[in-house]
Amino acid sequence: MIAWQAAGEPSIPARQQPALVLDYGRARDAGDAALLRDTGLLDGPGPAADRLVAPAQYLQLLANTLRALDSPDTSFMLGQLLLPGHDGAASHALVQAPTLRALLDTLCRWHARLTPLLRPRFETWDGVAILYWIDSQGAPGLRAPLVEMHMTAVAALCRWLGGERLPWRFCFNRAAPRHVEQHQVHLGSQLRFGCQLDAMLVDAAWLDRPWPRGSAMAHALAQEAAAAEPARLPGLPAALYDYLVERVRAAPALEQTALDFGVSPATLKRQLARHHTHFQAELDQVRTHVALWLFQARRLDNEAAAHYLGFHDAANFRRSFKRWTGLTPGPLRAALALAF
Amino acid sequence: MHAIVRPLILIACALAALVLPYAGAGAAKPFAAWHWMDIIDEGGTALMAAVWCLIVLASRPDGRVTRLLAGGMACIMLGSWADCMDEFWRIDKDALWDNALEGLVPLGMLVLTAGLYYWRQEQARLNDHLRKRERLFRSHRPFDRVTQLADAGYLRAQLRREAQGEGPCALVLLDIDGFHRINREYGQAEGDRALQAVAHMLLLNLRNEDLLCRYAGDRFAVLMPGLEPDQADCAARHLCAMVAGMRHHAGQRRVPLGLRHDCAPARGAPEALLAELCGRMDAAA
Repeated sequence: MIAWQAAGEPSIPARQQPALVLDYGRARDAGDAALLRDTGLLDGPGPAADRLVAPAQYLQLLANTLRALDSPDTSFMLGQLLLPGHDGAASHALVQAPTLRALLDTLCRWHARLTPLLRPRFETWDGVAILYWIDSQGAPGLRAPLVEMHMTAVAALCRWLGGERLPWRFCFNRAAPRHVEQHQVHLGSQLRFGCQLDAMLVDAAWLDRPWPRGSAMAHALAQEAAAAEPARLPGLPAALYDYLVERVRAAPALEQTALDFGVSPATLKRQLARHHTHFQAELDQVRTHVALWLFQARRLDNEAAAHYLGFHDAANFRRSFKRWTGLTPGPLRAALALAF
Repeated sequence: MHAIVRPLILIACALAALVLPYAGAGAAKPFAAWHWMDIIDEGGTALMAAVWCLIVLASRPDGRVTRLLAGGMACIMLGSWADCMDEFWRIDKDALWDNALEGLVPLGMLVLTAGLYYWRQEQARLNDHLRKRERLFRSHRPFDRVTQLADAGYLRAQLRREAQGEGPCALVLLDIDGFHRINREYGQAEGDRALQAVAHMLLLNLRNEDLLCRYAGDRFAVLMPGLEPDQADCAARHLCAMVAGMRHHAGQRRVPLGLRHDCAPARGAPEALLAELCGRMDAAA
């Protein structure tokens, strides 16, 4: 059975990211009434050490903060504060990472603790390393600021640990924003908007360069310590994404998925609706990402990609692809060639 | 003052007119029977209520709340005045009109209370409105809150204007070296202070016609109208030297601040120009 954590249930230590967001809002002169509205969190000097906050409450706090400060740099400034975070062993493992590869592996392994709102996935092929971000808790309305926040967090952490700015290239699944200056300064000038996924890419040669402050030994020990602590579960969309990626060739259906998640199909549907999504949307997203990977990494043509994903013929696949992305595979392939 | 002349005359007429029925229907009391305390009490209340009524009418625009407040006070005034007339003329205790006139006082209080109730609502509405206007104003103000400098949107608008103009104009970008380390090691509050210090130093060393903007983060932009790129480069070097000479402190510890810069002629589409210059800044970092 696949374990996951509902966005409405308390799972994030209040003293970690939520406290950090609240402090930032207060430091920028936002009132507690505006920051805490509808979060169900109480104002006060500081939460108790063992107090847990539901991801939905944390998301509401973030939305309030963004609205109250009404400044395009909020997500980027919060991103700079986000990592390594204060999650004990997992955060310590990040700081001690001897290389970029170790850092990204650690980040993805402990994503439910380190980045509970977005789930990073790290892959490499053809000399390119890619880190892309999946919604963990179902927050479509906050997708853009969340992506800005998490990309800034990783870029800033790498810059700090590596001692230099890495030549990341950034792809965004959105149109170019008005506040592109924030992206240019906080992320870098290699930006591409209107892509099909939110990803950051870097030449794979950077993955194994030793970092000045890292220590392989301390990193391994911290990972062990983190593994010994009770596991924190991913959000439903993140767990479902991982599940679907593994089974994408077998045309996964809602009924079997519900069975594997240990709930009835009706419950799974209701839970997905609570996370502001539905099964078909999640499946389409996974298929889009896998198709992009087939085009780019495996250099497959439409026919082969259609076969891989279990379509009867290329025409059918083309039509579906158009429905998922708004583009047919041809133009997207050209755009990808430029982006990657 | 003009606005209160009419109500003033009206009030005076009403007070004078109220004397008539008493003088006509009542029997005058002898001077010795006058209760001075009651006369001062009731007459004074009537005159004060008249003054309040005039103040409300003079200081508020016409409307429901104004009419209720002024009307309530006018009722209290007339009721008290009628009460006061009782002291001069003896009226039959059963005379309906006299009782009705005296009943104006509680009626006026009711009307005044209703007026105050609506006034409270009006005030809440106004506060709300003002707050919204203020927010709207702030959010549309093209200025950065930390440094009080113009922001990137304002810079783009100015660049667009410059692109249409004649004569040379240069754009300089300035980055603070290792700014991310200040944020990490000392916290964002110290980072903000460093930004403010650098902004002050830059402002002190610019010509009046230059425009200093906080582009984003630790990147400043200076628009220098009338300067060729080499002149602007020279000016930018001076700016870097001035910032390098600062003694900035975070708490007790000295934080060295340095700038790096690049410049280009301010021509062409602002977005493309800024993207290209930002790319060059990244390459140099």
